Amino acid sequence: MMLRAFRPAIALVIVLTALPLAVASQETPRGVRIGLSYGAGVKPGVIVMPVEATRGDSVRAIVQRDLDYGDRVTVIALDSAALRGLTPAAGRRFNYQLFSRLGAAAIVRIVPTAGGYRAEVHDVTVRRVLRADTFAVAAARPSGEWRMEIHGMADEMERWITGVKGMARSRVLFVRGSDVWMVDSDGANQRQITRGALTLSPAWHPNGRMIAYSRYGSAGTRIELHDLETGSRRIVRATPEGLNITPAFSPDGQHLVWATNREGGTEIVAASLANLASVRRVTVGRGTDNTSPSFSPDGRKIAFMSGRAGQPEVYISDSDGTNVQLLTEFTFGGTSYRASPAWSPDGRLIAYQATAGGFQIMLLNLRDRSVKQLTSTGVNEDPSWAPDGRHLVFTSSRSGVQQLWVIDSESGRLRQLTHAAGARLADWSPYLAPTLSTEQHVTNTPD
Amino acid sequence: MPRRGARLLVALPLVVAGCMATKSDVTVLQQDIMLVRAEAAQSDSARRQEIQRIMRSMQSLTDSMSAVATRLTRLRADVSGRFSAIEEDTRRLQELAGQSQSRMQELRAAVESRVPAPTTPGSAAPAPGPNQLYQLGRDQLLRGSTAAARTAFEDLLARYPEADVAADAQFYIGETHAAEGNAEAADQAYARVASAYPRSPRAATATYKRAVAAEGARRTRDARRLYNEVISKFPRSDEAALARDRLRDLQ
Repeated sequence: MMLRAFRPAIALVIVLTALPLAVASQETPRGVRIGLSYGAGVKPGVIVMPVEATRGDSVRAIVQRDLDYGDRVTVIALDSAALRGLTPAAGRRFNYQLFSRLGAAAIVRIVPTAGGYRAEVHDVTVRRVLRADTFAVAAARPSGEWRMEIHGMADEMERWITGVKGMARSRVLFVRGSDVWMVDSDGANQRQITRGALTLSPAWHPNGRMIAYSRYGSAGTRIELHDLETGSRRIVRATPEGLNITPAFSPDGQHLVWATNREGGTEIVAASLANLASVRRVTVGRGTDNTSPSFSPDGRKIAFMSGRAGQPEVYISDSDGTNVQLLTEFTFGGTSYRASPAWSPDGRLIAYQATAGGFQIMLLNLRDRSVKQLTSTGVNEDPSWAPDGRHLVFTSSRSGVQQLWVIDSESGRLRQLTHAAGARLADWSPYLAPTLSTEQHVTNTPD
Repeated sequence: MPRRGARLLVALPLVVAGCMATKSDVTVLQQDIMLVRAEAAQSDSARRQEIQRIMRSMQSLTDSMSAVATRLTRLRADVSGRFSAIEEDTRRLQELAGQSQSRMQELRAAVESRVPAPTTPGSAAPAPGPNQLYQLGRDQLLRGSTAAARTAFEDLLARYPEADVAADAQFYIGETHAAEGNAEAADQAYARVASAYPRSPRAATATYKRAVAAEGARRTRDARRLYNEVISKFPRSDEAALARDRLRDLQ
């Protein structure tokens, strides 16, 4: 009787609850959709299914870690044995409802093929395959290159899920002791690049195969180019005897800029890689120090550190040296120190180090010149952007010794990249060689 | 024979007389020498004294000179230090002025956006001010929307040709063309900066950019002419320093 009395009210509640959903579904435009269906402002949960192959556990661990380090999804780590029971038989569908209850918005399934892996991302909300593709993995397992190919697959899957490619298939150059070292973006596969000479300020060429650094010898410090594939090295003859430091390549890979001693100070100069003998001056410091050039993504501007105002500040200029602007907040008579600028890959931000209770990493928004302090613990220096334009690697003493750390510029989440003492002067590579894909598959195909 | 005797008689007195003269002369000479020696001795002593006096004076003078030189060195170092300090302060002031100018620009744009501007005839919406248009153009340029940025700058020049930011707007029209790879249009826009706003600091930059573009296009004669123009018209600018370097390489 009571129930009957409440029937109209219950019906009304059901209708009112269902109405917005119906309206929302009607409002959802048809057409191209990037990424997964999930609530705004939340990181979608992702479950990576066990990979049934030799070293499948390594593949799953690498993919899970890459998605986690990307900071755009929440990886729901479940026991492999439990998940095996949830893997559908051939021709059957996932129990999407169950995965939804586990908090997943997406399921990642990786299946071995003859020459690599087939990766699928399932959209749990709409209960179908979001995207699938096959990735050739040619490198011998479990080499560094094999790991990079798995990283490449993870980066693509992150793009399918979030619309933004991951940054796992990249490496970081750094200096330890007097040598240049290299490490994968996840901290694995650390190896020494130079031996036996004091080398500083390593920098990636955009092709990811060549690097430049400053090498100390009998004629002072000179810039050396190093081919990572062949191991061949050559000194840039245009670098005069004395001081030649902080090299950087232009985004098109055609030019090299560095700081050299001139007119009683340090000036930034540039040379074409095709004609390294012809050196062009970029800064007019009039006896002051101008170092640490960093190109804008379009290559038309350069950010650099200059002491022309009395103390080190960050400036930007056109790449031909004109149109110089002081970027950082200048205080007359102040004793601030701002240096090591790094222009973000999307061109919106410049990261640098500044004195704020010891050196700290700052982010300056070029649109409104607003500054955000990213770090506050220990001494934090020399930021360098990941190719995703979101993460930064920097040197920090927060663990008691100098180490490389990675920070998510949006959430502030930190992770330690290196664990042996004395790592510094990091430079994050661009995306390394493109992912090998043998065939294209359908997008948004109903399961 | 008697003639020879007579000749001897004539010659003898002459010879004797000659001998007599020589002897007196020697005596006189001896006296003279003694006198000279005495004078010389006296003179050397006086000269020595004179020299010593002069040397004392010179020593004193040297000491004075040294003291003056030391003072001058100190003064020079002091002046140099003060000049450096003044130079540094000037640079700081320039930086501050530059930054303040940038802030002022943003503030002007913000004020214009709040104060109702005069409406254009035939239009209900208030017309944007020059600083608003300039800021809009800069924002669009920063985003990479070169065409939209150019429209804003061109609109600014059409509505407010006498605005403070007119030279900047004309310069950035050149920048939008350069960003699009349209070298010819960029060159024309930069040339317009130098011709229409010759006193603006943008004129040096625009002329230098024209020179760099000419050098890149291997129009060496044009490049030299434009570099020289930068040096002669804006000798104290950064662009002049850059142009001197480029000219050295073009020799």
